[in-house]
Amino acid sequence: MAERTLISPAQLGRPSGKFLYWSALVVVLLLFTLIFLGPLYWMVTGGLKTAQEYAQSPPTAFPHSAHPKNYSDAWNVMDLSKLLFNTLYYAFGALAFQLVFDVAAAYSLSKLRPIFGKVILGMMLATLMIPATVLVVPQYLTVLDVPIVHRNLINSPWVIWLPSVTNAFNIFLLKRFFDSIPRELLDAASIDGASPLRTLRSVVLPISRPILGVVSIFAVVGVWKDFLWPLLTLPDPAKQNLNVGIYSLAQGVPENWLIAALAMASAPTLIIFLIFQRNIMSGLTAGSLKG
Amino acid sequence: MSAPTLSTSSTPSKPEGPDRPVPAHAPREAFSRALRRNISAHGFLIGAVLCFSFFSWYPMVREVLLAFQKTEAGKTTWVGLRNLRYIANDPAFWQAWRNTLLFTGLALLLGFVVPFVIAIVLNEFRHGQSYLRLLVYLPVMLPPVASVLLFKYFYDPGYGLFNGILHALHLPEQQWLQSTSTAMLSVVLAATWMNMGGATLIYLAALQGIPGELYEAAELDGAGIFRKIWHVTIPQTRLILSLMLLMQIIATMQVFAEPFLLTGGAGPEGSTTTIVYLIYQYAFNFNNYGGAAALGLVLLVLLAGFSAAYVRLSRDSDD
Amino acid sequence: MRSTWFRPAHRRTAAAALVSALALTALAACGTSSSDSGSKGSGGGSSDPTAPLDPKAKVTLTMDCMPPAAKAAELRQWKEDVKTFNQKYPNVTINGKSTTGQCEEPTRFTAALKGKSQPDVFYTYFTDLQQVLDSDGAADITPYVTAKTVPALASIDTNVLNVLKKDGKLYGLPTSNYTMGLLINRKLFQQAGLDPNKPPTTWDEVRAASKAIAKLGNGVSGYGEYSAGNTGGWHFTATMYGLGGDIVSADGKKAAFNNDMGKQIVGNLKAMRWDDSSMGKTQLLKWGDLQKQISTDKLGMFLAAPDDITYMVQQLGAKYENFGMGPIPGGKATLFGGNDYMFKKGSTPDQIKAGLAWVNFKFLTPGKGQFDWARSKSDALPVGLPQPNLWTGDTKATDLKSRTDNATMPVDNFRTFLDNPVIGKAEPPKAQEIYKVLDNVMSGVLTNKNADAGKLLSTAETQVNQILANQ
Repeated sequence: MAERTLISPAQLGRPSGKFLYWSALVVVLLLFTLIFLGPLYWMVTGGLKTAQEYAQSPPTAFPHSAHPKNYSDAWNVMDLSKLLFNTLYYAFGALAFQLVFDVAAAYSLSKLRPIFGKVILGMMLATLMIPATVLVVPQYLTVLDVPIVHRNLINSPWVIWLPSVTNAFNIFLLKRFFDSIPRELLDAASIDGASPLRTLRSVVLPISRPILGVVSIFAVVGVWKDFLWPLLTLPDPAKQNLNVGIYSLAQGVPENWLIAALAMASAPTLIIFLIFQRNIMSGLTAGSLKG
Repeated sequence: MSAPTLSTSSTPSKPEGPDRPVPAHAPREAFSRALRRNISAHGFLIGAVLCFSFFSWYPMVREVLLAFQKTEAGKTTWVGLRNLRYIANDPAFWQAWRNTLLFTGLALLLGFVVPFVIAIVLNEFRHGQSYLRLLVYLPVMLPPVASVLLFKYFYDPGYGLFNGILHALHLPEQQWLQSTSTAMLSVVLAATWMNMGGATLIYLAALQGIPGELYEAAELDGAGIFRKIWHVTIPQTRLILSLMLLMQIIATMQVFAEPFLLTGGAGPEGSTTTIVYLIYQYAFNFNNYGGAAALGLVLLVLLAGFSAAYVRLSRDSDD
Repeated sequence: MRSTWFRPAHRRTAAAALVSALALTALAACGTSSSDSGSKGSGGGSSDPTAPLDPKAKVTLTMDCMPPAAKAAELRQWKEDVKTFNQKYPNVTINGKSTTGQCEEPTRFTAALKGKSQPDVFYTYFTDLQQVLDSDGAADITPYVTAKTVPALASIDTNVLNVLKKDGKLYGLPTSNYTMGLLINRKLFQQAGLDPNKPPTTWDEVRAASKAIAKLGNGVSGYGEYSAGNTGGWHFTATMYGLGGDIVSADGKKAAFNNDMGKQIVGNLKAMRWDDSSMGKTQLLKWGDLQKQISTDKLGMFLAAPDDITYMVQQLGAKYENFGMGPIPGGKATLFGGNDYMFKKGSTPDQIKAGLAWVNFKFLTPGKGQFDWARSKSDALPVGLPQPNLWTGDTKATDLKSRTDNATMPVDNFRTFLDNPVIGKAEPPKAQEIYKVLDNVMSGVLTNKNADAGKLLSTAETQVNQILANQ
């Protein structure tokens, strides 16, 4: 960070400034570690405690004795592998649908400019103004019996995938990015006789990698974090995702197993995050700033 | 999907862009070209448009219709304002509004100000910044149910961690979620911990875009840290700040999972009942879809009005 | 056998989710289906509803709530019974539909009703009748149900049958019912020097016992109570019934709980929670939380239905002999509930007759089907719980004897509950909406040391009056 910020380098250069800087840094480092890693530590060690120790007051900072069996018990009893698989299945399915439909839509609205395109875009953006939870009831009634085709989508992955496409924010981000692609680039492709589909594939998409990354993160995280919608539409325990599954199973298992299950449920995303943190964080901020 | 290739085009070299004027001598070709372009363009759109039609636009219309209908013995009838009257006469309605507004206020105070302050502080550090950013963002990656249930345990007045800490420090123990005065605050605290990572990173990125010269200029005028924040940092990040404000208000007004999981939804004497929880109760516990839709309609009108005011405000301030 | 009071939100899912998680048989019972399960009967048969089913009539039925594969013994019994049934009615095909988790789960149930995709014979809770009628989902079976088609009809508790009637028409047949009582942890009673064979029968006794049990320390509470997810209001109602009070006036127009009895309930809870500190610090509990506490010997008593015990044994690893039950304190009346089968509207008369014959054979014949206690014992299923409790008179006595003879658990632990039968009473109108309001009374007194009983009750009274007046 060579750039200059709020506090002037001159101030920082002074001995008193240096002292303040370093002590502030140490305090913040410790505090943040405590606030943000502390709960995770508690989760992991809480899962190792016996049920008695877990419900003990005051709580113990270190487990008296470690019981890793809580983890395997919780894993088996709550069938976390199934819940995890379901969650991934829903998240990546939704991602695929969004990448296909939303990218195509944004491309069309940005570059092909059909008639009524502006109206359609406006109607899509209007949905951003409607709080999603307001629509939960009519949406729920709709998936019970989808008009025209008369299908009941409850308990099927479609109930997660198809509504996820109606992500106006992602379409907006994509369109903004496509708008910034110079016309000449596409024109050149057209001259070579490329169809819009080929132009999209071989010209637009390769240069849109950053925004596609951002949109993908939004898509996956959105499904991963959703609670109310899957709670309503996936009542079958065999079809539930992590959030809903853990919520419904929380009643029936001892507390120490539950906390072990929480730790295990948190692990996959945390690991993915730690591996791809640079891409994820830069992508997130870049995407939202552009948006 | 029809591909408008240029082989049939009468115009040489340069293709016709959609906004270019159509040459007068080739109206037929221009028309068929425009037709083909439209067919292919709508072909690209169709998937998203269908999804929006079924799962967004149609439910929007249905929401409005539902609010004025009721279903009894399998027959749906129009009932005018009856559902709206019904919810207005529900004592929980006004309480839920007070709670929702309280939650939004607290969430903005904490969820809006805290990340900004943290971003300003983090931006000053030349060491450990990426580690700190990582920490702040960690909770965002947890499944929300895991974070919420973890906090539920922390808040437990019997064996919870927070009271354990207070006890060790010889401070008075708190009731946290189990008192009308602290329940909502506790919910907001948990929600802030879970969600502030994204906002912090966005503010950080915005701060890094502020040209250093502005601070230098302010220093020449003898500005201290707080004046620099007031006169440089905030004006420079105004756009992103106001965008985030809008997004957070819309998001927090829809809060459901946190109170639902932390206090069972209603909380002590109903002090964490939010509008969305009430919608949930109406639809899925009372089986009163008309009432639920009416509740949603009120929230919708309010937020839409708010959004419109916001758009207007931001346009005015740009002039 | 999950009961009505799981109604609050997703308690029902929560409760049995574990069993299904353990099982996760890939029975895609509720997949994407657009069509009704409408299998129509064909062949002969009379359309005269009073005539019993013609054995020659060819009928195919979808039947809700067949035990899932995870419940191997129950499923085996079901199949045996179908075989026996088919000896008499060889032309009836019963397509059992089993669901992972509970037979009825609110959102799934609503979904089925709205989409008219419920099975031909479908399972509901006693409290569902209004919802079913609102979506025009059930057939009127009044003319079909006679002493000929259901021989034990006269022995069925009329209070139970009345729940399934609306405007004099019968819409379902009960298969199980319960009444609430005081569930106790015998181990803690012994440790606290109390007699586990004499559960408290008045609230003063409950308070004294609670205090004694809480003295054991180590995070043990004497008495536990709900105050969230509408279950607090549900228990307030049960307590009120026990004292002989009511929630709603007889004409259904006014709240009837803001009186001395209401104040007694709140005052007593306040004394236990704050003066004696015998109810634990953690509140805002809902269905499932107290079961967990009592199973881990952290709780002495709470109000429950007998089948909570099965839940705790099967899901939470508790032991039958650790529990006992007494009648609801006060003993004037008690909340009841249960489940039943209804017949899909639009079914042919033969379908209704066939379904009726099956329900009668499997669920309403003393000594047969679910009442074949000797078989349940040899299949190592729990026998001896005071539930279902459908019968009256001689039938009841005979059934109880068979139950006791084949008991797989110490029936004496439920002696006080059985020996002191309390009149069952149904839920108030707009039950869930009223429970939501009464939740506030419960959470108020249990979380606020300075709660004003009078104010809590009068606020709730105003609100319930508003709800009752609201149309």
